[in-house]
Amino acid sequence: MAVINLKNRQIECKIVFYGPGRSGKTTNLEYIHKAFKKQVTGKMISIDTEGDRTLFFDFLPIGLGKIKGCDVKVQLYTVPGQVKYKATRQLVLKGVDGVVFVADSLAVRREKNMISLKDLHENLQKMGLNIRKLPLVLQYNKRDLEDKGLPVMPLKKMEHELNRQLKVPSFPASALSGNGVGNTLTAILKLTLQSLQNEFKWAQ
Amino acid sequence: MNMDLGDKIKKYFNEAELYFSHGLLAEALEKYKAVEGLVKSTRSIRNRDGILKKLKRKIEETDQKIKKIDRIQPTAQVNEDARSLMKEMYTFDDPEAKGSAALGGAVALAKFGQYDKAIEELNRLLEYDKLRLEAAKNILWCWVQQNYGEYAVSLYQKWRKQKFFPPEEAESLQAYFNELMDKSGLEQEIDELESQRTIEPDSEVEDDEILDISAVKLILPRGSRKGEKVELEISFQSGKYIQMIILRKEKELLESISPGDLLKNMIFYSPVAIFYGEGFVSNKHTIDAGPKKGDFILEIKIIKIVS
Repeated sequence: MAVINLKNRQIECKIVFYGPGRSGKTTNLEYIHKAFKKQVTGKMISIDTEGDRTLFFDFLPIGLGKIKGCDVKVQLYTVPGQVKYKATRQLVLKGVDGVVFVADSLAVRREKNMISLKDLHENLQKMGLNIRKLPLVLQYNKRDLEDKGLPVMPLKKMEHELNRQLKVPSFPASALSGNGVGNTLTAILKLTLQSLQNEFKWAQ
Repeated sequence: MNMDLGDKIKKYFNEAELYFSHGLLAEALEKYKAVEGLVKSTRSIRNRDGILKKLKRKIEETDQKIKKIDRIQPTAQVNEDARSLMKEMYTFDDPEAKGSAALGGAVALAKFGQYDKAIEELNRLLEYDKLRLEAAKNILWCWVQQNYGEYAVSLYQKWRKQKFFPPEEAESLQAYFNELMDKSGLEQEIDELESQRTIEPDSEVEDDEILDISAVKLILPRGSRKGEKVELEISFQSGKYIQMIILRKEKELLESISPGDLLKNMIFYSPVAIFYGEGFVSNKHTIDAGPKKGDFILEIKIIKIVS
């Protein structure tokens, strides 16, 4: 949950990049770290292990400057995607204000996307949060792999399978090259700040 | 050779390579196996045996990588930056913190599987009246999580014998510990263990009886390297206490030995003699300063000399 200090006009919120293992969550943060240098306010902390798999989480602090007189700071986190790290995902989700769900566009990862989205839903529920009410954005990552000859799911199919009920903003992306990463980030920041504004009326 | 089949083999192999390079190992393995099946199904392919050999190597390599990743435990040691962050993440609203940022931080470390560091911090908090009970509960939880039920029991007994907690807290701790042991499925009866080994067994040897030791050989008691014999150089000795430095990169070794472990069949090497005995792992902690910062010190108390 966001830390809002109206006296000092400071807002600190937490956005978590969620999704199946190897879908590109860390790559998203790495790209943001590289491309949004002006906004990055601290170092990126990444704890990975064999095969570059995130074991705990990645962390990147960014500052959005003054918005309606408030100094807005955002903490970006990723979760470990592998199924066995459910407990860690629950820990990282604690206090979340917005979620980016990074889905893998590869056809062979179709089922993993669905399992991970269900896992997000369950973990939020355990924390008393509703996936339909929390600021959420979907990203369909790895679109570029189609050019390399790998079977990629059509966007329409991904929309139907993952976003039919949620109806949240979604973006095709290739996190490695950065395509779509900025759009995704902008959308989740906008939704999250709007949600906080509705809750705390900080911009008044 | 059938042209379609050749194209198919090429396509599948290319896919397998791409999956592998993206870390999608299960998918890569499946594709390599599919390619192998296709190659085996025909005799008209050029250099068939060479291709099959190459595929076999690919399949083995991928399979081994998958197994290696499966073995990784989410309790690996992390650097100080990450630890600080883990602590910070939970100091603002953790109900278990009960008003103490320090306790919340230590609990967060424990939840992330950083048991050694968490226990180190929780032990410090035992000195504070207001935090003592929660710190003790979390220390016991950390030991049980690492499957050191027996050690947790003996620690609990030590506190009880020493009347470390006032009656109300002792009662609360007992209720918590009983529940913890029940949930963990460990069968030790807390009261029946009075006679079992204590926290740190008394040594049968006097300090001046022990020669200067240059190295020890011991059998790792747990973890992925359980049963393996390792030889470690002694970096410091004070009587029956010997200390060794273990590099932080030796993760599997570090996970295979922990405080509370009783080490039988140890071999001690001194410049003038070799002798056998038993030891007790009395401490393991990170080095916080100096050129070895981040590495670990393992301390063993020699409790018995056999010959």
